[in-house]
Amino acid sequence: MATVAETTNVWANELLLNGCQAVAQGVKLANVDVIAAYPIRPYTEVMDQLSKLIADGEFDSEYIVADSEHSQFEIVKHASSVGARAFGGSSGTGWMYGFEALVVAATDRLPPLFVVGNRALDDPGAFGVEHNDALALRDMGWLLCWASTAQEALEHVLIGYRIAEDNRVLMPMALAMDGAFLTHSQHMIKVPTQEAVNTFLPPFNLGKRVLHPDNPVSIAPQVNEDWVMELRRQNWEAARRARTVIPEVYKSFNDLFGPRYANPFFDEFMCEDAEVVLVGLGAVAMPARTAVRRLREQGKKAGYVNLRWFRPFPTEQLRATLGRMKGVGIIDRNFAMGSPDNGGIVVQDIRSCLYPLTKRPVVTDFIGGLGGRDMSIADCVRMFEITFDAAAGQQRDELVTWIGLRE
Amino acid sequence: MIKRVEVNYRGIFQKTLGKYIGGDIVQIASRMGKVAFSNGRYSDSPERNGIPCKYFAFVSPDLSEEELEAECGAKLDIDEADVSVVVDDTMVKGVEPWGWHGVRAINEKLREKGCLLVTSQHSHDQLLTFIPKQPFSWRLATVEGPASLAGLWVYKDDLTRERVLGALAAVDPGIISIEAVESYLLEKTKDKHRAEAARASYDATLRNMRVVKAGEGAEWHHEIPRLPTWKEFESGGVVVPAVPRGFTMGPRGQSRNERFLRGTTKSHRPVVRFDLCIKCTLCWYDCPDECFDPTDDGLYDVNYEVCVGCHKCAEVCPVPECIVMVDELKFDNNDSPWEHHKRDPQGYIKWAEEKKGLERIHYPHVTGTGMEIREGKFVPPKPDKGGPAAGAKA
Repeated sequence: MATVAETTNVWANELLLNGCQAVAQGVKLANVDVIAAYPIRPYTEVMDQLSKLIADGEFDSEYIVADSEHSQFEIVKHASSVGARAFGGSSGTGWMYGFEALVVAATDRLPPLFVVGNRALDDPGAFGVEHNDALALRDMGWLLCWASTAQEALEHVLIGYRIAEDNRVLMPMALAMDGAFLTHSQHMIKVPTQEAVNTFLPPFNLGKRVLHPDNPVSIAPQVNEDWVMELRRQNWEAARRARTVIPEVYKSFNDLFGPRYANPFFDEFMCEDAEVVLVGLGAVAMPARTAVRRLREQGKKAGYVNLRWFRPFPTEQLRATLGRMKGVGIIDRNFAMGSPDNGGIVVQDIRSCLYPLTKRPVVTDFIGGLGGRDMSIADCVRMFEITFDAAAGQQRDELVTWIGLRE
Repeated sequence: MIKRVEVNYRGIFQKTLGKYIGGDIVQIASRMGKVAFSNGRYSDSPERNGIPCKYFAFVSPDLSEEELEAECGAKLDIDEADVSVVVDDTMVKGVEPWGWHGVRAINEKLREKGCLLVTSQHSHDQLLTFIPKQPFSWRLATVEGPASLAGLWVYKDDLTRERVLGALAAVDPGIISIEAVESYLLEKTKDKHRAEAARASYDATLRNMRVVKAGEGAEWHHEIPRLPTWKEFESGGVVVPAVPRGFTMGPRGQSRNERFLRGTTKSHRPVVRFDLCIKCTLCWYDCPDECFDPTDDGLYDVNYEVCVGCHKCAEVCPVPECIVMVDELKFDNNDSPWEHHKRDPQGYIKWAEEKKGLERIHYPHVTGTGMEIREGKFVPPKPDKGGPAAGAKA
C-alpha cells in the first residue's frame, strides 16, 4: 500500500536547523498551548527559538518565563491539568532542581512534553553531554526516549505528544537529546506540513479530569497509606499499555510520512546476522554505525542497537534481539556510582532484562563520553574489539572499561 | 571525501557572523547536491566579549549524512581544516579561548595546501610576521577590509558574510562554487548587490592568493598544555590555587593568575601618552581586568598580556589623546610601555604617535551600530611637568 507520503506532499520545506531549533519547530507544529521557560545550556536555545517564533508572529502560544526550573515545571504541570498542551525543558542541574514538579506530573497522570538537552551534572561547571540528568527520571513513571538526530528530535515532539496524550497512557514525556552534538549542530531538516501534523496528532483531550470552571474538580488531594499502592499499580498499568500504544503510533507515523522507523523502540543496524552488538543512546549512533560498517568490511559480524526508548523499557523486544548475540557491549554515557561493578545505568537494566534467558550473551560495559568527551569511530571500534574478545571467552580484570579517560 | 572549514571569530561581537557563514556553507553545498552540516565549538560558550571562538562547516560530495556526521560531528574541535577563515586579522597573533587551552597558532589545524582566509587591511607580508611557520606549504588570502565587529549579539550587515563566501569559493571551489554562492544569495535575499559583492570578492581573492612556503612565517613559542591524568590532581574537583592579593609597585607588579592571561582577546590595545597623564587613577581603577600596574612615579603601566582591549580605560581617561585604542596588529610584543617611556621619553612619544596615527576608531559595542572613525590630533608634551596638563579638558 502506498503511504500518504508517496501520494501527497507531507513535507512543507527543508530548513537549516540545529537540534534546539528543530524541537522548536516541532512544538510550533504540535500547536502547543502553553510554554514555560527558564534558561540553562544547552536547552536555552529551544526557549530562545520559541520566543522568536512567537515574536515573529509565526506561532501563537502562551509563553511564560519562570523564576526557576521548579516554578517552570509547576507551570507546565498545571497548564496540562487544565487541558492545555504544555511544553517545558531543561538541562543538567537545572533539570534536577525541578524534580519535585517532575515527579508529581507523573503521579497526577498528566501528559506534558519536556525536552532534556543532556548536560553533565555540575560541579565543577560543565556543559557537555552526559545522560545522568534524564536517566534520573527512570523510576518516576515517565515516558523517556532519546533522539539521535535533529530530524528525529522534531518528529519525536509530535510522536511524543501523541503517545503521552493517548487516554490509555496519560504519562508525561521526556525527549532527551545530546547536548552540543545534537542540540547545537545545524543540518538541513525536513519540516512536515501543518496539515499532515494535524492529521497525525489529534487535539489533546484530558476528558473528565480537566480542571475548568465548567468542570469543578479537585486534583491530587491528600491521600495516605490507603491509596498509594493502588495508584502506583495504575501507573504501572499505564506504562504497560504504553508498550502497545508506542508501536501503533509509529505505524501511524510511518503510514503518513514514509517508512522512517522500522522498530519503534530501538534501531537495529546490521543486527540480523550479527554476533556482537553495541547498544547506545543518542548521537553516539553515528560513529558506532560507521564502526560497524568498517568491521563488516573485515568480515566481523558486528551490529549496533540504537536504544531509543528507555521508559517504558522494551524488555521483550531487547530479549529477542540481544538474546541471539554472543556478546553485547553497552555504551553508558552516564555513571552509576557505587552500582554493581561500578558501571553505568543502562547496563543494569539490560543485564537484568537478559538474565531470565537460558542462553545469555556475554555483557560488557563501557563508560565513555562523560561531560561531552568525544566518542570517535576509533573508540567505537575499540569497544567492539573488547566485546568480541569477551564473547570469545577472554577474561578481563575489570568488568567495566572506561573509554577516553586520561590515565 | 570531506572538506572542513573553520571560521575563527571574536566571541559575541562576531558570533552571529560566524554562525551565518557556517550555515550558509551548508545551504549552498546542499543546493549543489552535497551533504553538509555545521556546528560551533561548544566549549567556547558562554562566550566572553572578544574571546577567540570557532564555527565549523563540513561538506562531502560522496559520503552519506551519517558517515559525515560520524567523522566530524561527535567531536569538539576540528581535526584539520581545508580552509581556516579568520574574520578578525588580529587573531593571527594566536588564540586562547579559555584557560587550560593555551595560546594556539591560528594555522594549527590548517592542512598542507590548505588556505588561511583572513579579512584584513594588512599585506600578506605583514600578516606573515605573526603567523607561525609550518613544515609544509599552505596558502594565504585576504578579504580586504576591517574586522566586522558588531555589538552584543548583534549582526552587522556590512557584506563581510557575502564577501567571505565569495572568497571561499575562490580558495577552494571543492567546497562551494561561486555560481552556487551567487544563486543562493540572490534567491535568499533578492538583493543583487549581495551576489555582486560575493563575485567581486571572488575575483579579488583569485588575484591576491599567495603560496606560503614550508618554513616561511613566524617562530612560535607557545606550548600546548598537557592536562593531568585522573591520578595526577587532587580529589574534590579542579581546584585552582588563588594568587596572593595585592600588588607590588612597578611593571608586572599586580598579582595575577598566570594560567589564563586572555591577551589574545583584544583587537585593539590602549596606547598611553605618559607625559600627558594627570594621575587621576581612573584607568587603573576602572580596568575590569586589573591590567594597570602602579609605578613609583604615580603613573600606570599597562600589562598587554592580560589586557583584553575592552576600551574602558580610553573611555574614562579625562585627558584627550592620553589613552587611545590602536589596532593590535601594529604591535609585535607585549613589552612594558612605561619602561620604554622611562628609558627614552621623547622616543616613546614619537613611537606612540606613530602607532596612534590620526584615525580614532570607535566601536559602540553595545548598540552594534558599527564603527565610527574620528579625527585624532597630536598633543605636544607638557612644558611644565608639575603644572596642569596641556591637554586637560576645560
